[in-house]
Amino acid sequence: MPRAGRIALALTALTAAVLLPQVAGPFWTGLVTQMYIFGLLALSVDLLLGHAGLFSLCHASFFAMAAYTTAILQVRYAVPTALAAPAGVLAGTLLALVLGLAVRTRGVYFILITIAFGYVVWGVAHRWSSFTGGDNGVTNVPFPAVGAWRVESHTEYYYLVLAVVLLCALGYRILVASPFGLALRGIKASETRMRSLGFACGLHLYAAFVVSGALASLAGVLYVYYNRFVNPVAASFPVSVEAALMAIIGGTGTIVGPFIGSWIMLGLRNWVSSFFALYASVMGLVFIAVVLWAPDGLVGLAGRLRARAQKAGAG
Amino acid sequence: MTSSAVLQAINGTSLAALLFLLASGFTLTFGLLRVVNMAHGAYYLLGGYVGLTVAERTGSFALAILGGGASIVVLGYLIDRFLIRHTGDNHLAQVLLTVGVAFVIGDVSLAVWGGDSLKVPVPVALRGAMELPGGLVYPTYRFVLILFGILVGAALWILYRKTQIGAVVRAGVDDREQVSATGINIDRLFALVSALASFLAGMAGVVGGAFLTLYPGADWEILVVALVVVIVGGLGSLEGAMLGALIVGLLDAYGRWLLPEFSYFVLFGPMAVLLLVRPRGIFGRDV
Repeated sequence: MPRAGRIALALTALTAAVLLPQVAGPFWTGLVTQMYIFGLLALSVDLLLGHAGLFSLCHASFFAMAAYTTAILQVRYAVPTALAAPAGVLAGTLLALVLGLAVRTRGVYFILITIAFGYVVWGVAHRWSSFTGGDNGVTNVPFPAVGAWRVESHTEYYYLVLAVVLLCALGYRILVASPFGLALRGIKASETRMRSLGFACGLHLYAAFVVSGALASLAGVLYVYYNRFVNPVAASFPVSVEAALMAIIGGTGTIVGPFIGSWIMLGLRNWVSSFFALYASVMGLVFIAVVLWAPDGLVGLAGRLRARAQKAGAG
Repeated sequence: MTSSAVLQAINGTSLAALLFLLASGFTLTFGLLRVVNMAHGAYYLLGGYVGLTVAERTGSFALAILGGGASIVVLGYLIDRFLIRHTGDNHLAQVLLTVGVAFVIGDVSLAVWGGDSLKVPVPVALRGAMELPGGLVYPTYRFVLILFGILVGAALWILYRKTQIGAVVRAGVDDREQVSATGINIDRLFALVSALASFLAGMAGVVGGAFLTLYPGADWEILVVALVVVIVGGLGSLEGAMLGALIVGLLDAYGRWLLPEFSYFVLFGPMAVLLLVRPRGIFGRDV
């Protein structure tokens, strides 16, 4: 697409995003807020998957760690948002510093070990009921308030999330275009070659893991203020694997891809669960269908269909 | 104190026997077929549910084990043949695909068998408790489970290490193309190993369902513990699955006893140590 066309498209999307709460009702505003938040989570997964070639299935851990920290500080200790929210991001990032050990492995081992790590975190949230509230979790989280400025409604919160997500997307873009981001892509393409060029591959991947964890933590903080409560479901395996699927559906290695994936998944979930009880089965079938027919996401699927149409037209 | 420590050791060993049934199938399918099958936990749960229904209809525990195992052999074959085969050697695709399969199986099982905890009835002869040397009293069933695990482990080990079939499978783990080039039908071998793994998983569901009970979510809980077994022991190694099951079973038992709120956290320990010292697991090789 030419540059002018891209800018026009981006401006249209931005205008639509800004106008949405004025035009649509609270239901859609809420749904789109969730789409931004889970899109951000999917984006954090994609930093590893699309740029570094690591398939992590424990990102719900950072998401939940941050959400729990912020919720517990706000609700139980009445810590103001200005401290509780950064503390949440910090706690999730610290967890990523520990679980980042997983980058000592690659391929299947990395996948399996991150699954196991994710379950340990879920297990702690679920079992350590004296601190985490067990299955009930932490409830009555207030809207964020910094000094005299406070969020009063879900519409206002929508704009806050939109602003944070846009800033993150901008930062992400700078990061992946930086020498660090290029080095990650190099490692994804051929780790042996990058190592022989003198790059500290392990260190690069570890740093990417921690940055990715920090981004997931930020999504967790945004989530807890939207949802107003957090329970062990936030840390559960389906959250991790759905975030990965969002990135794959939308197209890995891009910025809009994870958000498109999050729109599709959350839209589908809302639509299906409104009339069909076996919602988890439908999600399972989506997983299977994506692997079989759209392994490169919708971007790849569109490309393949176009190629086939051209072939049919030529033949 | 000492007697409860001993009891926990037996608890851990009987859990290890169950974990071995599940982990051995997982690790062998990976070793030979290069397939990561995340639906193994769902196989366990579904096999347990089918076994439960068989046990309720016929009253026979042996038939329940056979029924649970056989139903998963059929299902596993279909899933291998029509779904997993399309993923080739792409582990990421395999994981996503089989997670999807597991979601479907779990959800359908929930619709059929409901959300309550169900227990497979233990045969009369194995009910109650028995007295062990030293005056300890322990449930007969779990004690017999340890013997059963040892028996299955020994049978698998002999099959794998001492028979012609085992030699071919081991050769297949090392170099598939070479085995195929010597005129051995590798597809049939794959189907055989995959059927064995499915049977072990279904059987584990029946055996485990008799003391851990069956409920929605049990599929993922047991799978993750089995994954830790495989990670610790080394992916693709039968001996690794044995040793890993023992380590994880014992850690889990002592963890639940000493730190009930952090019992999952205990599993983190061996993985972290391993990652620092030996990322491929105890018996693992480069893959």
